[in-house]
Amino acid sequence: MNLNLLSYLFFLPAMMAIAVWTARSCHRNGRVWMLGIFDGEAEFVDAVNNVLLIGCYTLNLGYVTMVMSLWEPISSWEHMLATLVHRIALILLSLATIHFMNIGVLLVWSRIKHDRYTNTSLP
Amino acid sequence: MNNLIVITYFIYLPIVLALTLYVARILFRNARVFMLDIFNGRTEIADSTNRLFEVGFYLLNVGFALWIMEIRGGMDGTQDMVEKLAGKVGGFAIYLGIVLFLHLWLFFRGKRKASEARRYTIPPVAPANA
Repeated sequence: MNLNLLSYLFFLPAMMAIAVWTARSCHRNGRVWMLGIFDGEAEFVDAVNNVLLIGCYTLNLGYVTMVMSLWEPISSWEHMLATLVHRIALILLSLATIHFMNIGVLLVWSRIKHDRYTNTSLP
Repeated sequence: MNNLIVITYFIYLPIVLALTLYVARILFRNARVFMLDIFNGRTEIADSTNRLFEVGFYLLNVGFALWIMEIRGGMDGTQDMVEKLAGKVGGFAIYLGIVLFLHLWLFFRGKRKASEARRYTIPPVAPANA
């Protein structure tokens, strides 16, 4: 058995599952924030949210698939374990970065919205 | 191994076509809300504009998928095939995601322009016959 192929067989489904899980949790929990940002227009928010979910899927799954073409040839079992863990770590770290950026955008946007419409300027 | 390259093409094509179809259907099902807002609830023109954009989306992305299909530099073995296929499919998916977000931005821009236009049109004057 080719060790590269064996690790791809594990890597791709596992990383896809994690990417899908992250995207779905963003989709579920981001809705409340977006309702705040878009003045409670539920129909519009759901449309935007669905398109964002699909965009998240295509970008993240595409990235997970694409980095599979960049692996070095694996020679032994120890090498396979090390490479696999390293590659998984890279994916998890980039997902985390994107995730926190998403949270940041939601926070900043709703802060701007809040400041503009409540007119709560300090004396 | 010319044969392996042909097999790769036959795996690649259904994947990218299905991906394009799936993404386009979901995008344009949700774009209808934007179109209705942009065209002030005129259903007929909103739906036909939506359809026109959808056809354009198909043409653009299927065209790009076919354009990048060619595999250069030969192919040796299953591992090479899996890696090259993954590179192609993943690259196309990332491109598709970027185009998707570009469309979403375009729709947002249209919505903003439409609401600005509504805000700055002079409201009809009430008849003064009191």
